[in-house]
Amino acid sequence: MKDKKEDKALRELFQDKLGKAEVIPSPSVSKALMRKLALRRFLHFNATSFNVWYAGGIVIAGSLVAVILSSDPGKNEQTKQAPVSTEFNTPLVNEAVKEETTKSSAGNDAEGETVYEAHRDKKSGAEITSDKGAAHIQDDQKKSTLTSVDIPDISEEGLIMEDKTGRNNLKVAVKQSDNLIAASVTEGCAPLKVIFKSIIPPQDSCRWTFGDGGYSTDRNTEWLYDIEGEYNVTLIVFTAGGNKISSSTDILVHPKPVARFEITPEDAILPHDEIIFMNYSTNAVKYKWDFGDGTMSELFEPRHVYSKYGDYNVQLIAFSEYGCTDSLVILNAFSGSAYSITFPNAFIPNPNGPSGGYYSPRSDESAFVFHPVYSGVAEYQLRIFSRLGILIFESNDINIGWDGYYKGALSEPGVYIWKVRGKYMSGEPFTKMGDVTLLKN
Amino acid sequence: MMSDQQIIEGCARNERKAQQELYRRYSHFLLGVCLRYASDKAEAEDILQDSFLKIFFNIKDYSGTGSFIGWLRKIAVNTAITHYHKYLKFRYYVEIEEFVSVESGISSFEEDLFTSDELFRVLNELPAGYRMVFNLYAVEGYKHKEIARMLGIDTNTSKSQYSRAKAAIREKLEKLRKLKGNYPASNQ
Repeated sequence: MKDKKEDKALRELFQDKLGKAEVIPSPSVSKALMRKLALRRFLHFNATSFNVWYAGGIVIAGSLVAVILSSDPGKNEQTKQAPVSTEFNTPLVNEAVKEETTKSSAGNDAEGETVYEAHRDKKSGAEITSDKGAAHIQDDQKKSTLTSVDIPDISEEGLIMEDKTGRNNLKVAVKQSDNLIAASVTEGCAPLKVIFKSIIPPQDSCRWTFGDGGYSTDRNTEWLYDIEGEYNVTLIVFTAGGNKISSSTDILVHPKPVARFEITPEDAILPHDEIIFMNYSTNAVKYKWDFGDGTMSELFEPRHVYSKYGDYNVQLIAFSEYGCTDSLVILNAFSGSAYSITFPNAFIPNPNGPSGGYYSPRSDESAFVFHPVYSGVAEYQLRIFSRLGILIFESNDINIGWDGYYKGALSEPGVYIWKVRGKYMSGEPFTKMGDVTLLKN
Repeated sequence: MMSDQQIIEGCARNERKAQQELYRRYSHFLLGVCLRYASDKAEAEDILQDSFLKIFFNIKDYSGTGSFIGWLRKIAVNTAITHYHKYLKFRYYVEIEEFVSVESGISSFEEDLFTSDELFRVLNELPAGYRMVFNLYAVEGYKHKEIARMLGIDTNTSKSQYSRAKAAIREKLEKLRKLKGNYPASNQ
């Protein structure tokens, strides 16, 4: 009851206070909204909204492409010769473009020309301005290195009038240049960290794209390539004068080899077993092994015999064809002694008669024989007593266990005591005792 | 002075002036709606902007029946839900264990104890999931079944999120009340 009342009170509080609450948006919201609206309209081209802006844009873009195509050789030369490292702000290229454009548009139809003239009139005041939005359109639509795009200025028709800051005409030229990037390395092994420095005047801004989807707008930056490949790094400089200069360099990242190995057999009995090092390395052409006991090898899959257990650190260094390396160390590889002996605590003798106690893991699937699971046993004596203390079985051969028969007769079900003593291969002695329950089938 | 009907027709013809007027007239109200669904004003303004884009592009679909302001609000709420799903992966989820349930014994709130600014802040600080469900249920008045469908969650999840949201809100309100030195009579 109380809960419902509380619930209602809370709902009413928020409904009353916030249901019709008004909050004043920042002025930037409406501006951004109108920009988006205009851009969407522009991109979502349709015939009903076709207007003078489209006509102008198409005419200028078209004529510019024509200019580039027709005057290709001379143009290229001019572009290359344009000073790039010291005089970014000189709008040399842009001037050229403007002139060319004027010339060629003279040949176009009347409508296009008037539109273009209108542009020019406005442009006389503000030379060339760059805008992120415009640059974006330009990137998407045109891939050529020298392009010019006009987009309609939304401020004129925007919801909230923007102050006229000379953004009436957007014009962007991209120029290719090669000496603006200083990279700390241009080739190396993955993961490769490269420090990039841009040689640009302080008043210019820039944008790096690293060729793997990453980008940065810092003047000097660093990037980590962790996947091999050839990456084309591009630096676009937005000069204070409104120019766009791009510069690029290639970074070659070599694959990193991967060092992997396994030690077999897993529970090796030392020094009895020869150890095989299984090599699963990839991207590698050369190997260096350190077995940790002072011996080395350069084989692909070496074999090694250790004289005794110890805290050996086995290391593999894998080298790729480019000299990239990777290493893997297995610490304390043979520290834990693999010597052991354990006994079960129950067994069911074969009711059909004595077997003599010989067994193997395969023949004794039904556990007819009482025997240990062991490794590294050198000497062995097993004795089994009844509860009255009578010795009923003795074996000095680890391969012979107790079949549950005493003097040819099946022993009574019940608890029997076993005692074992012997030596491991290392010379370490062992003694153990316990009980085992003989079960009836 | 344009009527709503004139504005709608103007917007349908993509007239800048009508859009301008629509924005001027309703952006304050709609930002209030958006702010309930956001963790701060900047996020609310993002939602507002997307809402207006939707409104301008879909105004032809407004049938003319039902209240226009209700239609606008619905678009804002739907945009907020889209926004919530889109940025879901950037949010972390706060479990109920963090909230100690408060025995408040409140059955009514003094009218002017909390300002709407404070209530906005209470909502803004809620985990996004709680905020969505609380707004949709308590303020918008949707049923848990509808909320479950809108958010793509289970009906029971909606219910439990709501009660957790309430517990969290109550705790925040209680703290606020104490901060203001205004203890409810029932607590003495």
